[in-house]
Amino acid sequence: MTASIPAPTARPAAPRELRGEPTWRRRRRRWGLAFVGPQVLGMTIFVALPFAGSMLLAFADWNGLTELSWVGFDNFRDQLTSPKFGRSILNTLLIALITVPIGLGLAVTIAVALEKLKVRTLYLLLFFAPVVTSQVAVATIWQQLFRADGIVSGWIARVLPIDPPNWLGDPRLALIAVCIVTVWASLGLNVVIFLAGLQNVPPTVVEAARIDGAGPLALFWRIRLPLLSPIMFFSSVIAFISSLQTFDLVFILTDGGPQDATRTIVLHIYDVGFGRFQFGLASAASIILLGITLVITAAQFGVQKYFVHYEED
Amino acid sequence: MLIAKGMPMSAVVFAAPGNRRRVPATTVVLHTLLIVGGLAMVFPFIWMILTSLKTLPQLLSEPLSLLPDPLTGENYPEALSAMPFGRAYLNSVYIAGLIIAGTLVTASMAGYAFARIPFRGSKALFIGFLATQMIPKQVTLVPFYLLMSRLGWVDSHLALIVPAMLANPFAVFLMRQFVLSLPKELDEAATCDGAGPVRTFFAVVLPNLRPGLSALAIIVALDTWNNFLFPLVLLNSTELFTVPLLLAGFEGQHGGVNYGLVMAASAVSTVPVLILFVIAQKRILNSMATSGLGGR
Amino acid sequence: MSQSVTRSRTRIRTRGAVAVLAAGTLLLSACSGSGNSGGGSGDGSSTVTWSTWGSPEELERFEGFNEQFMADHEGITVELQPTAGYSDYHSKLLAQLTSGTAPDVFYVGDDRIGEFVDAGVLLPLSDLMDSDASQTPVDAFNPGVLGAGQTEDGEIYAVPNDVNPDALWYDTEALAAAGISEDPAELAANDEWTTETFLEMNDKLAEAGLIGSMYWNYYGTHWSWVSSQGGTAYDESGTFVGNTDATTVDAVQTFADYMQDGTFMVADTMPEGAGADSEFVTHGAGFFAQGRYTIGTLEEAGVAESYDIVRWPTPDGTAAPTTVAASYLVINADTPDPDAAFAFWTAYLSQEGQEFRLSEGGNAVPSIEGADEVVLADGYPEHAQTFLDMRDMGFANYAAESTVPGLSTDINEAMLNLYQGAGGTAQETLDQIAALAADG
Repeated sequence: MTASIPAPTARPAAPRELRGEPTWRRRRRRWGLAFVGPQVLGMTIFVALPFAGSMLLAFADWNGLTELSWVGFDNFRDQLTSPKFGRSILNTLLIALITVPIGLGLAVTIAVALEKLKVRTLYLLLFFAPVVTSQVAVATIWQQLFRADGIVSGWIARVLPIDPPNWLGDPRLALIAVCIVTVWASLGLNVVIFLAGLQNVPPTVVEAARIDGAGPLALFWRIRLPLLSPIMFFSSVIAFISSLQTFDLVFILTDGGPQDATRTIVLHIYDVGFGRFQFGLASAASIILLGITLVITAAQFGVQKYFVHYEED
Repeated sequence: MLIAKGMPMSAVVFAAPGNRRRVPATTVVLHTLLIVGGLAMVFPFIWMILTSLKTLPQLLSEPLSLLPDPLTGENYPEALSAMPFGRAYLNSVYIAGLIIAGTLVTASMAGYAFARIPFRGSKALFIGFLATQMIPKQVTLVPFYLLMSRLGWVDSHLALIVPAMLANPFAVFLMRQFVLSLPKELDEAATCDGAGPVRTFFAVVLPNLRPGLSALAIIVALDTWNNFLFPLVLLNSTELFTVPLLLAGFEGQHGGVNYGLVMAASAVSTVPVLILFVIAQKRILNSMATSGLGGR
Repeated sequence: MSQSVTRSRTRIRTRGAVAVLAAGTLLLSACSGSGNSGGGSGDGSSTVTWSTWGSPEELERFEGFNEQFMADHEGITVELQPTAGYSDYHSKLLAQLTSGTAPDVFYVGDDRIGEFVDAGVLLPLSDLMDSDASQTPVDAFNPGVLGAGQTEDGEIYAVPNDVNPDALWYDTEALAAAGISEDPAELAANDEWTTETFLEMNDKLAEAGLIGSMYWNYYGTHWSWVSSQGGTAYDESGTFVGNTDATTVDAVQTFADYMQDGTFMVADTMPEGAGADSEFVTHGAGFFAQGRYTIGTLEEAGVAESYDIVRWPTPDGTAAPTTVAASYLVINADTPDPDAAFAFWTAYLSQEGQEFRLSEGGNAVPSIEGADEVVLADGYPEHAQTFLDMRDMGFANYAAESTVPGLSTDINEAMLNLYQGAGGTAQETLDQIAALAADG
C-alpha cells in the first residue's frame, strides 16, 4: 500500500507546500504505516491466512482424514436450517445481552469505588481471584454451588415458596447459571481495565474542574465518565465479541446441556468440527458467526458517536 | 477543552463541595459492600487452596466439607514431583515474558498510529483488525497447524511466541483507545516542537500510557499463561511443555483424577501471575499517587 | 447432512486441498514440510514415535516399557509423545495426520476407531500379525473385542492394547443398609442373577434413601442393558434394529423408568470432582457400572473391602454378552519404517508387554490371551474372574457407531433426554436413533 501518494491534483508540478500538506505531515503518515506494520504483517500471516483456509473449507465436505469434496453452499444451507445451530445462536445472543450490560455496569461501579479508596490492593486481589483460579476448581465449585441440594438453592427455597432449583439440570435455569458465572469470571479484568482508564484521566484536568468548583458527582459525570468513555466503548465491544465466543466456561460447566439449553455458537462449532470431524460444516457455522459479530460491532460503532467522547481533532 | 464538552456552568456552580468529615459513614458502607462482593469473588480460589490441603478420602467424602481435616501438605511435593514442573515453569515464564514484551511494543505502536497518525486506508485497516478479533481460535486450528508445519515450527516454542506477539487485535484496539483518551495537546505539543513521530511516541506518548500498558501486560500474561489448546496441539516433546499441559496431564487413561494433586499444582501455577498482578496494579495506580491527588 | 451433499460433488485429493489451504504459506516459507522426525536412516537405526494420553504414573510405566523395548531392540529408538488429557487427543491427532507429522504408532479411542480405519490412514496388520516378527498372532485375541478394528473383509487395522468390560460394581455395605441380604455375585454363580432380583434390590436401595445404580451415559450402558435383557441394538449387517424389536423397546423403557424416578442415575450429570465416585465410596449407591480402574478409586478412598463385581443381570439369570470398552493401538500408514513400528506395536500388545503394563495397580484387563494372571493375582475384587468372563463373552463398540462421526454423541444425547424424562417414550427415542443411524 502506498499511503503517502497525494491525491491527484490539477497542478502536479506545484511545490509541496502549496498542496496544503506540509512535509512533516506526509512523513508522519509514512511513519503511521511503519508503526502498524508488525501487527499488520502478523495478522495477515497468522490469522487471515489460516482463516482464508477455513473459509475455503466452508465450501467442502471434509473430515480431515479422507478425500475432500466441494459442495458449494450446501454447508451454509445445512447450518442455517439446523435447529441445533439456531438454538446455539439464540443462546449466545441471550448470554451476550444479559452479561455485557450487567458485567460492565458492575465493573465501572467497582472501579469508581476502588479509585476513591486508599487501600485498594487487597480488594483488587479479591476481584482478580477468579481469573487466576484453575478452571477445574471453577467448574467444581460452581457445580457444587448450583446443586439442587446446594447452598444457593437451599437459600432460595427458604426465601421463596418454590422447590429448590436444580440450576444446571433444569433447561430453563442453566443459561442463567452460565450468565452468573460469566459475569463472575470476567469482572476482575474489566475492573482492572476501568481503573487503568480512570488513572489515564490527566490529574490536571480533574484539578482544573475542581478549581472551577465541580463537586464529586459532577466530576464523575462531567469529567471522568466522558474521558473514560473510549475505554468503556472498548470494553463493551470486546465484551460483546467475547460473549459471542463463549466457550470455555460452558464447556466445563454444562458442555452445552441440558438439552442444548446452554449450547453456544462456538461450542456448536467445536462439537461439529472436532467432535464430529465435519470441518466444512464447522467452517460454514463460523463464517455465519463472523457475520453476526460484524453486524453487532458495526452497530456499536454506529451508536458510539452519541456516547463516546474522543479528544477532538 | 479541560472541562468536558457540553458541561453547563450551572453544574460547576451548583455542585455541592464534598464534605470530607462525613466520608467515614459512606466509607463503611462501601467497604462492607466491597468485602462481601470480594469474598464471593475469591471463594472458589480459597476453595481451590483448601482442596489442595485435603487427603483423597476427604475429597471423596459426602457431603463435601469445606475445611480440610486432617490438614495435609503432601499434595504439593507429590504433585510437583509427579511431572517436570520446574522445566514447564521456565518454559511458561520465558514464553509469556517474550510475548508480553513484544505485544506491548507492537500493539502500542499500532494503537498510537491508528489513533493519532491518520494514513490512507487506516480506518479500513483498523476495521479489518477488529474483524479478525471475531474469529474464534478453534475454527482456524487445523489450517493454523498446517501453516506451522510448513514453517517447521511444530514442536517448537516459535509457534507459540511469534504469532501471539505479532497478531493481537485486542491489544491494538485497547492501546488505540488508551491513546484516544489522552489529551491531544500532549503529542501535538511535542510534534510542534519538532519531534518526529518516533520521538513523540517514545518520549511523550509511551510514558503516559503506563496504566494502559500495565493493564495490557496483565491481560496478555493471563492469556498466555492459561493458553491450553494451541500448546497442546503444537508441542510434542515433554521438555517443551508449558504449565497448563502438565495440569491437564493428571487425568488418567480411564478418566480418574486426583483433585487434591490438581488443585495443589494449580495453586502453585497461579503464583507467578499473582506476583505480576501485584506489581502491575501498583503501576496502574502509581500515576495517581504521584499526581498530588493521591493520598487524599 | 451428507445425504444432501452427495449430489454434484467434485472430488479432489486431500493433499491437493491441503496444498490449496497452504498455498500462501508455501510462498512464505521455502522450507516446506517439516515432516516426521522419525524414520529409517540407512544405517539400520530407526526412531519410532508413539502417542497416548495418561496420568503421570501411567506415563512413567510407558517410559519404563520404552526402556525395556530399546534394551531388547538394538537400533530402534522409541520416543513417547504424551498428550495431556483425552478430550483434545483426537483433535491433535487429526491436525498431525493432515500435515504428515503424526507419530508412527498411536492410541485411538473406541468411540473414534471406526473413523480412522475408514479413512485409510492406518497400516493393515493381518499379515504382519501372523508373520515371524509377530508376538501377537491374530488368534490370540477374542474376535469380539476387535470391534471396528477389523473391517468387513477381515483385514485388521487396530487391536485393543487392553480392555475394560463394564462390570456392575456393588457396595455390600450399601446393600446391607437397604436390608438386602443376598449377594449378587453368588446369585450370578448359581445362574440366579435375574433382572427381577436386580430391580428389586434397586427398589430397596431407593426406599432406604440411597441411589440404586449409577451408569455413564455411553454406548456401554445403553447396549449392555439391551443385550443383557435379550434385545438387539444392531443386526449383523450393522443396521440399527432396536426400535423394531419389542424386547429391546421394553428393556429400554424399564431402564428409562428407573432413571426417571431417580433410582438409577447418570454419572455424567453429577457434579465434577464430587459426583458418582464420591457417592459410591461413601456408601451412597448400590451399584456402579465401571471397569477395572475402579479398584484405584476404592483403594485410595480406603474402602475397598466392602466392594465386589457382578455381571449384568438377565431375565433368566444366566450370563449374556455385554460391552467391553477399549482403546486401540494402531500404526500410521505413512510410517517411514513399518518394520520398526511393528516391532514396537507387537511388543506393546504381546503377553509380556501387557503384563508389564497391567500388573501392580494396573487398571484394565489384558486383551491378549495368556496374560490373565495379572487380573487374578491380587485376589481383588473377590470375583475378579468375572472381568475375564465378561471380556471373553463380550463385544466391543459397534462399528456402525464408531465409524460415523458424531453418531455416538447424538445417540447419547437422545438417550440422556429419555433418561431425564425429556425425550418421550423408549419407542420414540429408539425410532429417533434408528433415523440417526440410517442418516449416517
